Amino acid sequence: MSKIIGKIAATEKAPTTIDVFYFWTNKNRILNPFDVVKVKHIDNSITFGVIEEISHITDSASYLSSFISSDFGNVELQPNMNRIGMNYVKAKVVGNSENIYTPVLDGSDVSLADANEILQALGLDKIKNPMPCGYIEMYRGEDKKILPVNFNAQFLIGPEGAHLNISGISGLAAKTSYSMFLLKSIQQTYGNHTGVDDNDNDSVAFVVFNVKGRDLLAIDEPNTKLSREDKKIYEEMLNINTKPFENVKYFYPYAEHTSSKTFSYGETSDIEAQIDNNKAFRYKYIFKEDKDNLELLFANVEDTSGTMESIVNFIVTGNDKFSDVDSWNTLINTVKEYKQSGRKDGDKDISVMSWRKFSRIISKSLSHSIFQKAVIPEKNEIRLQEAVSNIKKNEVHVVDIAKLDEDTQAFVFGDVIRAIYDLKLGQKEYRDEKDIPSKIIIFIDELNKYASKDIPKNSPILRQILDIAERGRSLGIVLFSVEQFKSAIHDRVKGNCATHAFGRTNAIEISKSDYNFVPLVYKNMMTRLSPGEYILEHPVFRSLLNIKFPNPLYKQFPNG
Amino acid sequence: MNSILDFIANETNSKNYKSYKYCIENIAVPKLQYDDKQDIVVKRLGETDKGLRYSKSLKEYAIKEQGNQLFKFFLDGSRRTYKVDDIAFDNKIYPVIAGQIGVGVCYRENKDTFKSFQINNPLAISLPSVLNSGGKNDELFFNQLLEKVNQLDVLQKQSLKFERILPYKYNASKEDDKYEDRGVARIQDEMINLEKKAVKELVRQKQLNKNAFLIKDGSLEYEWDKTDFKNISSIKSNYASVVGVSKAFNPESLSSYNKRISQIIADLPEFHRTPAFMYETTRIPDVKFAVWYLRIRKTINPFDGVVKIEKILVWDKEEEEGLDSDEIDLISANIINERNPVCYGQDNRWAKHLYPIFLTEKYIKSRYLSDSHFINLF
Repeated sequence: MSKIIGKIAATEKAPTTIDVFYFWTNKNRILNPFDVVKVKHIDNSITFGVIEEISHITDSASYLSSFISSDFGNVELQPNMNRIGMNYVKAKVVGNSENIYTPVLDGSDVSLADANEILQALGLDKIKNPMPCGYIEMYRGEDKKILPVNFNAQFLIGPEGAHLNISGISGLAAKTSYSMFLLKSIQQTYGNHTGVDDNDNDSVAFVVFNVKGRDLLAIDEPNTKLSREDKKIYEEMLNINTKPFENVKYFYPYAEHTSSKTFSYGETSDIEAQIDNNKAFRYKYIFKEDKDNLELLFANVEDTSGTMESIVNFIVTGNDKFSDVDSWNTLINTVKEYKQSGRKDGDKDISVMSWRKFSRIISKSLSHSIFQKAVIPEKNEIRLQEAVSNIKKNEVHVVDIAKLDEDTQAFVFGDVIRAIYDLKLGQKEYRDEKDIPSKIIIFIDELNKYASKDIPKNSPILRQILDIAERGRSLGIVLFSVEQFKSAIHDRVKGNCATHAFGRTNAIEISKSDYNFVPLVYKNMMTRLSPGEYILEHPVFRSLLNIKFPNPLYKQFPNG
Repeated sequence: MNSILDFIANETNSKNYKSYKYCIENIAVPKLQYDDKQDIVVKRLGETDKGLRYSKSLKEYAIKEQGNQLFKFFLDGSRRTYKVDDIAFDNKIYPVIAGQIGVGVCYRENKDTFKSFQINNPLAISLPSVLNSGGKNDELFFNQLLEKVNQLDVLQKQSLKFERILPYKYNASKEDDKYEDRGVARIQDEMINLEKKAVKELVRQKQLNKNAFLIKDGSLEYEWDKTDFKNISSIKSNYASVVGVSKAFNPESLSSYNKRISQIIADLPEFHRTPAFMYETTRIPDVKFAVWYLRIRKTINPFDGVVKIEKILVWDKEEEEGLDSDEIDLISANIINERNPVCYGQDNRWAKHLYPIFLTEKYIKSRYLSDSHFINLF
């Protein structure tokens, strides 16, 4: 028998409706937003609701009445009895066992739900293609329930829906941790799938960008500090093994003058060990092959008249003196020639001023040591585009861009997603279609750098991201993106994400229109969420869910 | 469908008029009504300490008593009356009065637990007794009529029933004694009966004792009927732990004994009480009361913060010497401690309304059918 905690109150001013109901409870009954309650309804059906707001009221007509009740403001006074008071709770209807949606009736019993009923209420009981995404906690004390939550994987990585966006300012790598938790969950669910026949579902591969410190530079090494409780949650509740990621390859930017010959926050010894194990590579950009990506250096440059684009075209197509250019250095030098005033050759439409601007931008970026003449495969050097284009099923590619400047980060990111896009469009003819993973999941932190509302519309990276957001579901390219403020992100990118996770955020952010659909109490909760907590919106859930997840399984670097 | 009034008219060979139905309390011009009756005879002081002349402070005692809850039970009765029709019989027109009665006892276990202990919400109709034209016993006749009325569809469908049909006297009415008032008075009497029953029931269940007192809202000056007199002493003993607290009282009612009484009351300092007086009423000759006034709050209007407290003198010794002054102090100190919280903003009588009584009253009223619902039963 369920524990009855209150009764429905339908009043003239606050009636029960198809969508909401109100009930009273004892003032000492502890309930929380997101808790599920059930109400006895007509035809022996049960209506389920999720708590949205809890208010405490007494019969005090005004604050003045309370003041007078303390002998006109005597703070020491202890009255013989407290005012009669109770809590009333607003709950959103999430379903009815018999699909009866007429409003629940005044005086009906409201009780706590058991585990099965909670899952049924939230639409979690019949999830197809389940893939663990965390757990929910409900109620307090002896009534407490902890239940695993699954996504329908087809709504996360396609084909029904795709893309995940995580926002929040939680810090301590919480957003990254949650993304990696989901990637681990996907790797376990799909890792051994070949994707060849229909029964074997999809095969997956991952491309992950490391943008901060050493966060993701040891994801195939175990987290030795993982607590017993967390292990239990992984193994017993979520059915996820506690091994770190498998089949991981690391790609570090090449550098000439560092001991590890990489430009990274990683320890030299760690990187060298990874290279020795053939797990890590140094990536370089070679003019001959990578000149087509020159435009990516201009992702954040306002170019309304298209002159930068014209210059890039002028160079890439080998016009004029650029036909002889064969390295980044000669490119810089040739451009220098064009920026001299009084020149008569070259494209007449491109002014000297534009050449000067162009020169300024590329000189700074191309001075980085990843722009080289040749790769030496024996020294584990590679071209990133080539490596990514050859990604195999169940592989995880970690591309380290943490130490690069912003423009070069954008260049590398743009290059990688372009490579994946081309791969999935079938433009890499040397690869057998059967060997290409059917889903490639890209994880990128700080999406706002590439797809914020302020990014110039002509940005080639923005165009690429929009393409992935809109066509990725069918192509098999899935974007797991993270940023601090969702409101800053381009609407078409957000709009195409099927799943959203909201972490802790601030008061200014929740006042933006992106959060209009979120009830006020949940919004305020968002400003108080702890690092291991997210509010999830997923197409198969009937309501927003407040989920928790355990600490990461891979090695953590507390100091970055 | 047969309406209740058509049915009654038909059954009693009278004629009903379908006149305008209204709630009497909503229409009547409010009159200042005192809880105490006016035929009071005060002979002497009603407490053991005969030396108290004007007032004494109970502030310290009240502070000492904080946290001790002497009062555990709270009793209140209320009624709402309606004129629902006029009925003609024997060339005369009589009003048909109906009413909702509520009598409830609430129990307070601790600071935060306030619960209903018993509640009685009967519906009643008051008809002129002349309708019993056949010479049958009134009680028998109206009970039979009641049974038939309760079978009517309009009541059956809503699972409602009337508990009583109360006949009022039909002899010619004097100028200031209207039939309507007689009907209302019968309903009022019924409410008082239920209040008495409620106390009796609490005593039967051994709920009341020297650590668990009952406050009854208003005066204890009940009319006792003849059957009560036979065992008056046992009835009195029911009231050993019952105190009546009145908000509305006539400050002059004891002036025959002490001419300055109304001024003493008006000048009572905060948390002071007057001496207790012993009085009896001509209507209840065998019952003596101790009565005193207590100021629970300083107010601008001199009588606003003062309550009148009554206790029936139960034992012979009390009737002779008066109520023990210590008990009076204890009761007074505890009533002072009941002064908060207040119902300011909800009830104009907040300055002397005791919160648990206010809650009991609200509880009873919350059980009433709405006026329009009740009126449309007829």
